[in-house]
Amino acid sequence: MSSGARSGPRIVTNTVEFPYRRSLGPVIGTFVAALARGQILGVRSGERVLCPPLEYDPDTGAATSGEFVAVGPVGTVRSWTWVGEPSDRHPLDRPFAFALIQLDGAGTSLLHAVDAGGEGAMRTGLRVVPRFRAEPKGHTGDLAYFVPEGAETTDAGVVDGAALSPVAGGEPGVVLEPVETMEFWSSLTYREALSAASERYARSLLAGRLLGQRCPTCGKVYVPPRDFCAIDGIPLGEGDDLALPDRGVITNFTIVTPVKYPGQKETEPFVRVSVLLDAPDGQLSESGSALMGLQPVVDVTNEEVRVGMRVEAVWLPEAERNTDELGNRGWGSTSGALTGWRPTGEQDLSVERYIDRVF
Amino acid sequence: MSADQKAFGEPIAIVGYAISPMSAFSEDTEVRLCLDVVTRALAASGLGRKEIEFTCSGSADYLSGGTFTFVANLDAVGAWPPIRESHVEMDGAWALHEAWVRLLIGEERTALVFGSGKSSTGDLSRVLALQTDPYYLAPLGADPLSLAALQARALLDSGRATERDLAAVAARARRAAVTSPHALPALAAAAADASGTGGTGGTGGTDGGDDLGDQIDALLTADYVRSPLRAHDTPPVTDGACALVLATATVARRLAEEKGITPVWITGLEHFVEPHQPGTRDLTDSVSARRAAQAAGLAGGAPVEVAELSALYSHEEIILREALGLPDGCEINPSGGPLAANPTMATGLVRVAEAARAIQERGVSRALAHATSGPCLQQNLVCLLDRQPLGKEAHTSQGSSQEGGAR
Ligand SMILES: [Zn+2]
Repeated sequence: MSSGARSGPRIVTNTVEFPYRRSLGPVIGTFVAALARGQILGVRSGERVLCPPLEYDPDTGAATSGEFVAVGPVGTVRSWTWVGEPSDRHPLDRPFAFALIQLDGAGTSLLHAVDAGGEGAMRTGLRVVPRFRAEPKGHTGDLAYFVPEGAETTDAGVVDGAALSPVAGGEPGVVLEPVETMEFWSSLTYREALSAASERYARSLLAGRLLGQRCPTCGKVYVPPRDFCAIDGIPLGEGDDLALPDRGVITNFTIVTPVKYPGQKETEPFVRVSVLLDAPDGQLSESGSALMGLQPVVDVTNEEVRVGMRVEAVWLPEAERNTDELGNRGWGSTSGALTGWRPTGEQDLSVERYIDRVF
Repeated sequence: MSADQKAFGEPIAIVGYAISPMSAFSEDTEVRLCLDVVTRALAASGLGRKEIEFTCSGSADYLSGGTFTFVANLDAVGAWPPIRESHVEMDGAWALHEAWVRLLIGEERTALVFGSGKSSTGDLSRVLALQTDPYYLAPLGADPLSLAALQARALLDSGRATERDLAAVAARARRAAVTSPHALPALAAAAADASGTGGTGGTGGTDGGDDLGDQIDALLTADYVRSPLRAHDTPPVTDGACALVLATATVARRLAEEKGITPVWITGLEHFVEPHQPGTRDLTDSVSARRAAQAAGLAGGAPVEVAELSALYSHEEIILREALGLPDGCEINPSGGPLAANPTMATGLVRVAEAARAIQERGVSRALAHATSGPCLQQNLVCLLDRQPLGKEAHTSQGSSQEGGAR
């Protein structure tokens, strides 16, 4: 998260990462297994051989035969383009060609990279040969890239297919045990302008105030402001903003038992509560007030949390407040401004008042 | 709403539409973009929110990076009390298809359709690479630009187009952008500068005068971004949204009478898909676009005067023109097309709105709108629009016909 230039809106960034483990199935799994012994397999489907091998024929939808056929190693470039500035997702960190390569014996083409040295070396019809990862990992990336036929390999991490065959001990035709899964790390970074409504909310949090917005048509109060009413489908604006009390009542809660996943920081079960704020005039209210979801609690055990409990916000000291992590989503995050909500010690409100609420 | 009888297969019309301003980086949230177009499309239709009986939207959470962004977008329609609603993780043109089918069935008589996307939020190239096959393509970082370039090269190698032909498509798109209200403003301004005029007006046709020739020459001096594609052959990253309002004939005629709305009739709407792996098909042809056009009934009726094509890359326009068999006089992408503004997930629906606009505002009788999805024109949708409705029989039966069996 970072703050952008003062002149325009604040820019918020957010990186979403996900570690995929994919099942490869019998066809792709066998293709990957063969790469470890320096071999590219196609699968027979009717009269032709499909490479890359697929489980179903793309034209007829019929299951392919399961009969694998070694293709290549030489192939012909059927189309190509030059990637002058590779990204970190590309298979090579130096300029390379993407090409559709029809391996000898195959009826279809495989998309792959060609390490050709320069764009001038590429042409449709070029004959290319594969380079394999010297130390296979059981991944489609074990087929590292292709090079023009006759080219020298200077990359120490890759070898000619013939160099792998004796190492892996695989005779062509020997049944391969398919590789079962393949890891894939997905990472995407997003960047957007903090909306005007979210910016007003952020400034308000820094000042120790909860800011909401009331729809003049239906009277619903939203926190944070969104600059529209989701009930009426109409735009709202700064003029509809209003300060809200930082006291309310718990209308629902859940205890989250954390499971381990990348990015999970929690280790112990924790509570998240829904807080129905008191009405803007400070009165207790069942409706006409705003609900803040997924709020943390302080000074109370998980077991003590209950519907009807009166709570108040516990603000971080002003100097420690930071809203850099605030985004545009309308959940009412108070992270960076509140440590949580604590019981006021007042008498509970009747549970029956909140029984029909979802949140 | 009056108690119209439920009727299966009544003709369906577009009775309102709205297209958002196009932006390279919108400071507004996606739901506010949707709110804007939904509000304006409804106003144009003369229908109120509560008169809409079915709502369908198209968007992709991958673009925004937020789970359930498509649910948040529903805030734009005022979904309380609960409404009948659906969503497709596709371009809004496929949401239109779903809504059209619903209205044909006859349970509902009005529908709101919208598509939206802010592709500036993420790295569009990377997001789309992750939407390719996760075994053979995504691990290579097979980005859309590279895949498009492979298709462009295949077309050039076939001898059916030259780099100059590609540049000509781009030059015409730029010229159209100058006067299009829905082109990216920066692109339209740059195009106006390049042409030395503030708008020559749409001349249509497939060739231009010397002026256009000079612009093509200038474009050809640019470096490749992925050979044989240059920057002008590729779509700009765009944030935007589009909404349409549909009504069955009974309602559309009432709106015409009472509110002065000019209905634009959907006389055919079909889509077909091809295999995902680019190496398994002939990239120089678009079998699925041709088949969709046949199934939609392009061959029957008067020639199409305007075609709004989701040709994201200039070579795609050439492939589509051939596959669809568009007549010589057909004006292609008078709006500037996706080369002038490409709001991913709304681009196809914008084509439908632009084709409807050609009929409503420019006196065109028959227009075609096209949408695409997947790499290298993998999936294609064709929507035929007409000033006059066809009879009931015109838009049934075709979908189940067998002419698509042979490849
Ligand atoms: Zn309201």
